[in-house]
Amino acid sequence: MSPARPAVAPPEPWTFPAPVEHVLDNGVRVLLHDVPGQYVVSLRVVVPVSLRTEPAGREGVAAMTARLLDEGTAQHGPEEFAELMERHGMLLGAGVSDGGLLVDVDVPQAHLATAAGLVAQALSEPAFPDGEVRRIVRNRLAEIEQERASAAHRAMRELSRTLWDPADRAATPAAGTAESVGALTRDDVVSFHRQRVGPAGACVVVAGDLAGTGALDVVAGSLGRWTNDDHEPAPSPVPPQPSADRRRVVVVDRPGAVQTEIAVGCPGPDRSTSHGWAPYPVLAFVVGGSPTARVDAVLREEKGYTYGIRTSFRPRVAGGSFVAQGSVRSEVTAEATQLLLGILDGARDGFTDSELRAGTDFVARTAPGRYATADAIADESAALALERLPVDFTTTTLRDMADLDPDDLRSAYRRTVTGDWSVVLVGDADTIVPSLDGRVPGPVTTVDR
Amino acid sequence: MPLDYPMHRRTLPNGLRVVVSPDHTVPNVTVNIWVGVGSRHESPGRTGFAHLFEHLMFQGSRSVRSGEHFEALMAAGGRLNATTWFDRTNYFETVPTGVLELALWLEADRHGHLLDAVTQENLDNQRDVVKEEKRQRYDNQPYGTALIDVYAALFPDEHPYHHPTIGSMEDLDAASLADVHDFFRRFYAPDNTVLTLCGDVEAERGVELVERYFGGLTARAEPARPLLPQLDPLRGPVRVDRRREVPNDRLHVAFRLPVDDTDEFLACSLALDCVAGLSTSRVARRLVRREQTALGAHASAWGFVDGASIGMVVLDVAPGADPIDVEQALVEELDRLADDGPTEVELETSLAQAERGWLSALASQEDRADLVSRYTLLHDDPQRVNTYLDRLRAVTSEEVTAAADRWLRPHHRLTVAFLTDPESSGSAEAVA
Repeated sequence: MSPARPAVAPPEPWTFPAPVEHVLDNGVRVLLHDVPGQYVVSLRVVVPVSLRTEPAGREGVAAMTARLLDEGTAQHGPEEFAELMERHGMLLGAGVSDGGLLVDVDVPQAHLATAAGLVAQALSEPAFPDGEVRRIVRNRLAEIEQERASAAHRAMRELSRTLWDPADRAATPAAGTAESVGALTRDDVVSFHRQRVGPAGACVVVAGDLAGTGALDVVAGSLGRWTNDDHEPAPSPVPPQPSADRRRVVVVDRPGAVQTEIAVGCPGPDRSTSHGWAPYPVLAFVVGGSPTARVDAVLREEKGYTYGIRTSFRPRVAGGSFVAQGSVRSEVTAEATQLLLGILDGARDGFTDSELRAGTDFVARTAPGRYATADAIADESAALALERLPVDFTTTTLRDMADLDPDDLRSAYRRTVTGDWSVVLVGDADTIVPSLDGRVPGPVTTVDR
Repeated sequence: MPLDYPMHRRTLPNGLRVVVSPDHTVPNVTVNIWVGVGSRHESPGRTGFAHLFEHLMFQGSRSVRSGEHFEALMAAGGRLNATTWFDRTNYFETVPTGVLELALWLEADRHGHLLDAVTQENLDNQRDVVKEEKRQRYDNQPYGTALIDVYAALFPDEHPYHHPTIGSMEDLDAASLADVHDFFRRFYAPDNTVLTLCGDVEAERGVELVERYFGGLTARAEPARPLLPQLDPLRGPVRVDRRREVPNDRLHVAFRLPVDDTDEFLACSLALDCVAGLSTSRVARRLVRREQTALGAHASAWGFVDGASIGMVVLDVAPGADPIDVEQALVEELDRLADDGPTEVELETSLAQAERGWLSALASQEDRADLVSRYTLLHDDPQRVNTYLDRLRAVTSEEVTAAADRWLRPHHRLTVAFLTDPESSGSAEAVA
């Protein structure tokens, strides 16, 4: 006889690992998370940078500046710097989000001091050799072509262009276009770095097993010495301006494509929303966060049209979006899009108690595991710093979730989902466009691949 | 010095191999199950079946309705999925400590009693879902089918690694309910399975719980066929050219390697790092930084058990550069490494990066559990997770040179070239 189905024991309350906070002499804020047993230490530096401050026609200069930080410094040539990092087990990535410049480093505990020293050099005295500037720009141009070739990337790019006002920076890719990046020179990068990248407002996060590392002294002795007298702090973030004609359908033509990538979206909240962030992760899960959520219960498990369509709220430092994205086989594009919009709009009628319970329990009870490793803790802590949210934000949001009722979910969803959708379909226009008629609202335009 | 993650191992009377690795830093437990069946066990005309079968494991079993496995665990705070690969099928969930028993009960129900619930309707639905997965991940991706070409040209017809895990549309169409029953009876059995618990549970309690829920399953796996003998290096070079609408030319240069977890395989993986795997590798310095004829260079070694592994270098050719020249430069660097061996700095760098990579993989309970299952199922020794870095550090410069000489000489290579097609004519293809 098989044993009976066991009951579930509720978990103990949990809190996001709290950092120890310091402010260095140069104003840099430091958050230290000691996580015993995490032998690879994660170091994050976030510098508030507004992409709106990029000079017109030079969009992407912030991203290229970030990518060039470790391509040679006052003390080391580009190859020498790369070798120093790699020999010490470092892995470094640098880029930008809508709100800032981010440097990510993972390094074995024993090499934390070396890593912090190299990061400080990269941020404070990058050399930007002309040859490296040209190489990184060329690589970005090739990357733009690779992103164009990927249906998922292409869809998101077109969605941003449709959702946001054409004059708003958010309508253009964070790392720039072929035209704007192609126009960049070394001078552009040097002056952007001098003017926009400095210690004022910056935050350093270190997470991992910090026993014996002297982490605070290490950071103070490296990034604590970073100065930049020319630095102009970033202006306060403002939400992107939605496009006046965002309620429409754009088909990106891919003749002969076997699938259509569907991306639908509308403006959404940031995590500082005055209504509270707690309902949004729950809504994303209940509507389209699993194979049995509302969207895939129909499109995947009932119809077999897709491997999976997911919904997500995508907060920026100010403003954000709500997006559903996935791919379906070409011949069912119109029907699948109609079903998807029907499910998304139908959810405005509200959610059941059991959906609320499943959603809040999923989000709250997976948190200890989602934030168990040094890199996950560091990423969340750095994101909170950039979004100017308190260090206990993650913990208080989970607590707020426990108090949600179905009406809270319904109100939060209706504040975002008004039924005005920007719809992007990347696929075979000859198949898609004639079938859309009457099934998907809004005017239809077709653009080249 | 070896790592010291605890490994408590027990084999139940029905043959189920259980490993418990307690770690109380987070109030979670990962249940990670490796079943000793993958695409290498598929028969001709049924490629892709192991993976399609994996999907059916979520569609209900004797006491669990379709979709309930996902629903019940997620609603209790579980994160879960499953994957299929050449050598194994893997089912896993990370759950709050108080959900461990429910997870084991759900797993035991499907691993013991799937066939009570399988229906033609579920099979047809998941066949459609898997076809969309194939389109999404392979057919509708630039370069998405390159690896399928690599497997086909690197291994002889009928070799277990000749075909991809995703299979073919025709074979997916041919899969029947009878195949599902047959496959389950042949391969899904406690004596062909490893179950790892990693996380907030003591060893004795963990074994006791696994025994409670899995003890009633009966041993019945068919005897495993002996593993194939080691394949010799490819007698090449072999070349497959594909003209496609891709953003830039890309070369996939592949080699047969020694089987997984041998000293010679480790030496090959270090050699590949030195040639093209590091950001300061020979090829990256030369082609990406100096000559700037490549946009990027990557290398990897995939360890398999059935007579061969795969080593691969991937080169993205810069616009305007000639892919023939880029390949020729790689050829020179492969020969140079095999002639002269790695420098001290190169070896040190490869080890430093391998160490960070390995420690990062072990940082989360779920990835650690996966490695424990892997070394237990495929190599019968969970402790290898703790000793891997020591074994890697023990590899000498001479062994790397010898491995490069035997396995990574240019005449042993397969090149699958995806080339931009200015005419967009689509399908002109040449296989030489």
